[in-house]
Amino acid sequence: MLGELLSILAAAIITWLLFVTVDIFFRLPEAGGVSGASGVARDIQTAGGDIAGGTMMGNIVCSPDASAGTLLAACGVYVAGIPGGLIAAALVFIGNRICHDPGYAGTTGAVLATFVVYGFTQVGFAATDFIAGIVIAILSIQGLSHVHASRLLARLWRVRQ
Amino acid sequence: MIALYLVAALAVFAAIRATLEKNTGRKLPYVNVMNFAIAASIVLLLNHPLSLVAAAAYFVGSTLEANAIASTYAGGERHG
Repeated sequence: MLGELLSILAAAIITWLLFVTVDIFFRLPEAGGVSGASGVARDIQTAGGDIAGGTMMGNIVCSPDASAGTLLAACGVYVAGIPGGLIAAALVFIGNRICHDPGYAGTTGAVLATFVVYGFTQVGFAATDFIAGIVIAILSIQGLSHVHASRLLARLWRVRQ
Repeated sequence: MIALYLVAALAVFAAIRATLEKNTGRKLPYVNVMNFAIAASIVLLLNHPLSLVAAAAYFVGSTLEANAIASTYAGGERHG
């Protein structure tokens, strides 16, 4: 039981690094893809957060990004191995288009996550560890402290710039 | 097995935080966490290839709803 919890925690750290890297690489903190993302960013800034970090969080709310890609890819690998992960990537691509998202962060994240998750299942991890791990990772950004999460993302965004 | 109970607990936690948050813009990220946790629990409950389609349909649908609520709340103006 302790072993599984530790695996889930390790998976959370791996997926956190993966989705934040892909999202920042695809410039999610730069501008709101739709007006709703900017609205969420404005409210986070009003509460004392950072606008760039808030914009990335708004974009995550409004369209499937790399974190959603990672979640669905991990689910895909769990139910059907690598083909499942790639089907998840296709579903994320369709989801992006439905949500008027012009970017490819979600699809790229899903394809990368498919191989990362599959790779870790070969060395003792279970795909379920990654499904729970990405939920913990997204909780740390969207569900604990918007002010601190947005400031952290903004700091990483400035490094990218 | 722990994974399923963990994501279910996180879904409840996120739902409670979304309920307690009064500001619409800051409520949506909590709902987003809840959607992640519910999509995850669908697949963890039902280990079947079609569960992936169900989870993706739920997740994309709920994201589109959050998008619509956020955009309406922000005034409906489109940036791109």
